[in-house]
Amino acid sequence: MALKFHFTPADTPRGDETNPHAKATTEVADTVQALREAFGPAVQDHLTYAGEHTVYIAAEQIVAVCRYLKEDLGYSYLVDLGGVDRFVEDGRFEVYYNLVNVAGRQRIRLKVRVEEDAATVPSVTGIFKAADWNERECFDMLGITFAGHPDLRRMYMPEDFAYYPQRKEFPLLGIPGSLPLPPQTPEGSLTMDPYAAAHGQKPVKSYEEPRSSK
Amino acid sequence: MATLQDYTSSRDAFSFWPRHNEAIAARLESKDAWLEQRRGHAPADLSDDVLEHQMTLNIGPQHPATHGVLRCLVKLNGERIDKALLDIGYLHRGIEKLAESKTYQEFMPYTDRMDYLAPYANNVAWCMAVEKLVAIEVPERAQWIRMIMCELARLSSHMLWLGVGLMDAGAVSVFLWTFQGREDLYSIFDEVSGARFTVSHSRIGGLVTDLSPRAIEMIKDFSSRYQGIIQGWRKLLNRNRIWIERNRNVGIVSRAEALDLGLTGPNLRGSGVPYDIRAFEPYLKYDEVDFVIPLRDEGDCLARYHVRMEEMLESLKIIEQCLVRLPDGPIRSGDAKAAYPSKSEVYYSMEGMIHDFMYTETGVVPPQGATAYHAIESPKGELGFYLESDGTGCPWRARINAPSFTNLQGLESMMEGHPVADIVVLIGSIDPVMGEADK
Repeated sequence: MALKFHFTPADTPRGDETNPHAKATTEVADTVQALREAFGPAVQDHLTYAGEHTVYIAAEQIVAVCRYLKEDLGYSYLVDLGGVDRFVEDGRFEVYYNLVNVAGRQRIRLKVRVEEDAATVPSVTGIFKAADWNERECFDMLGITFAGHPDLRRMYMPEDFAYYPQRKEFPLLGIPGSLPLPPQTPEGSLTMDPYAAAHGQKPVKSYEEPRSSK
Repeated sequence: MATLQDYTSSRDAFSFWPRHNEAIAARLESKDAWLEQRRGHAPADLSDDVLEHQMTLNIGPQHPATHGVLRCLVKLNGERIDKALLDIGYLHRGIEKLAESKTYQEFMPYTDRMDYLAPYANNVAWCMAVEKLVAIEVPERAQWIRMIMCELARLSSHMLWLGVGLMDAGAVSVFLWTFQGREDLYSIFDEVSGARFTVSHSRIGGLVTDLSPRAIEMIKDFSSRYQGIIQGWRKLLNRNRIWIERNRNVGIVSRAEALDLGLTGPNLRGSGVPYDIRAFEPYLKYDEVDFVIPLRDEGDCLARYHVRMEEMLESLKIIEQCLVRLPDGPIRSGDAKAAYPSKSEVYYSMEGMIHDFMYTETGVVPPQGATAYHAIESPKGELGFYLESDGTGCPWRARINAPSFTNLQGLESMMEGHPVADIVVLIGSIDPVMGEADK
């Protein structure tokens, strides 16, 4: 008798409305309603998962929305700002804003979606000073530029680095020669690829360098 | 893009990344200092007095007072800092990128290496973010144990802050006392998890091991002894004239400025903003224990010192309540798709072994398009993970909201207007950890 082969049934998505970690602070349906009334079509979409509300805002309206949230609804604390590479043809990059209303005990997430060839979002540093470094980090890691940012330098990588490492096409092991490091001996040459062995080349060992002639 | 030619033509060891240094110099020149904006006066024009007063000083990245590889560039007018600029990224390892190629459980050891002064809090933050994304319920006992260990991590972090901060200000003895405390904490972590430093004890869906009776004894002993010891430190320092003079009215940040700069944790509460995740959006069992959130209004280094000292005492109070209320029961979710099976299941049952294999290979699988942000109150402030899933076992995007990063941003502004000697005190009172700030 042949053994029957059973497939493991696909795991159905667990319900997010019964999420045991959902917080009371992320119940901000009234804020979403207020945004819809104030900005109409600039509020493009609205998603909920795990009790959290994500509101998609048209990129050109993000500064106005942030100002409205800060001045009229009390969301005066920008907790986090970051970028996401969706790696799709349309609307490749997303920038998200995590805003908190300390007194009103509310937290909301805004999202802005931009195209790869026009990856520019208006900067909100004029409203939240806290956005400064976060926008720089987002620029450094994903190459999204922020129009109106006072100081859009790279955050972590040196200015000489020419790539955006958090993009999905950037290889996990880095690009050889993109970031030379100091020589391993005073007389040695620059270390062009710190991970030479991982890239299939023979790494230069400091003890294999020719001895100094002095 | 810098070419090979750029580097090989300038063989001077200090001309690495020439564009980077040029950009920093240009920014230091063009920066509109916070001091000018706030107090409405421009720094005096000293262009005819170059030798007497003006100097650009490069402190770090290798400097003992910077608590890691933090590079400060300060433009001095005599001894006063006119403009300050921080350059970070010297410890950047790209762990957000690394997370995208790991399963959720595989990534956890990396969180140990973020805020390496409180690794347990990072483990818990990561596990809870994943548990929110996948909607996993954690057994009661595991939640209480996590709370105990998170508070011990807070004590460990604050003890280092206190000892090192005082050493920066010139008092070496407190450094030795707090490290004795940290040694006791390390022994507890060793007994609980088998590792002193990078504990990795929490698991998605629970914990890896239960507390041994000896560990509970050690924690009880610690919390009863250190109540008095910390009070003793406070007695010494609260009336120590040198310590108070070094801290009072240094680095004042008002309530509105603290919110605007995005400060977090004790730095925010030292400015009078009652924002603590443990009370703002309670996680674990923090809504069931009785504790006070220390708050000060002054916003200077002394206020931040008081907040942290009082927080340590509150942590001990929380630990004692947790030990009393610690229920019996499982320490891991029984769902094979949510958590690892126990070792005995793996060794003695076929299903257990399959589950163990599947969990290591694929792990938890959140539905496609799921997003979640979960934050905990780590010793440094709000530590949050924002996760996006594409329906596989690896996160599509794992964004780390690191408290040290946001606090350092505030430090850049706070330095302006203070003498050079206050830099060490300010860095100490902000309490950054570069492993976390640089990701």
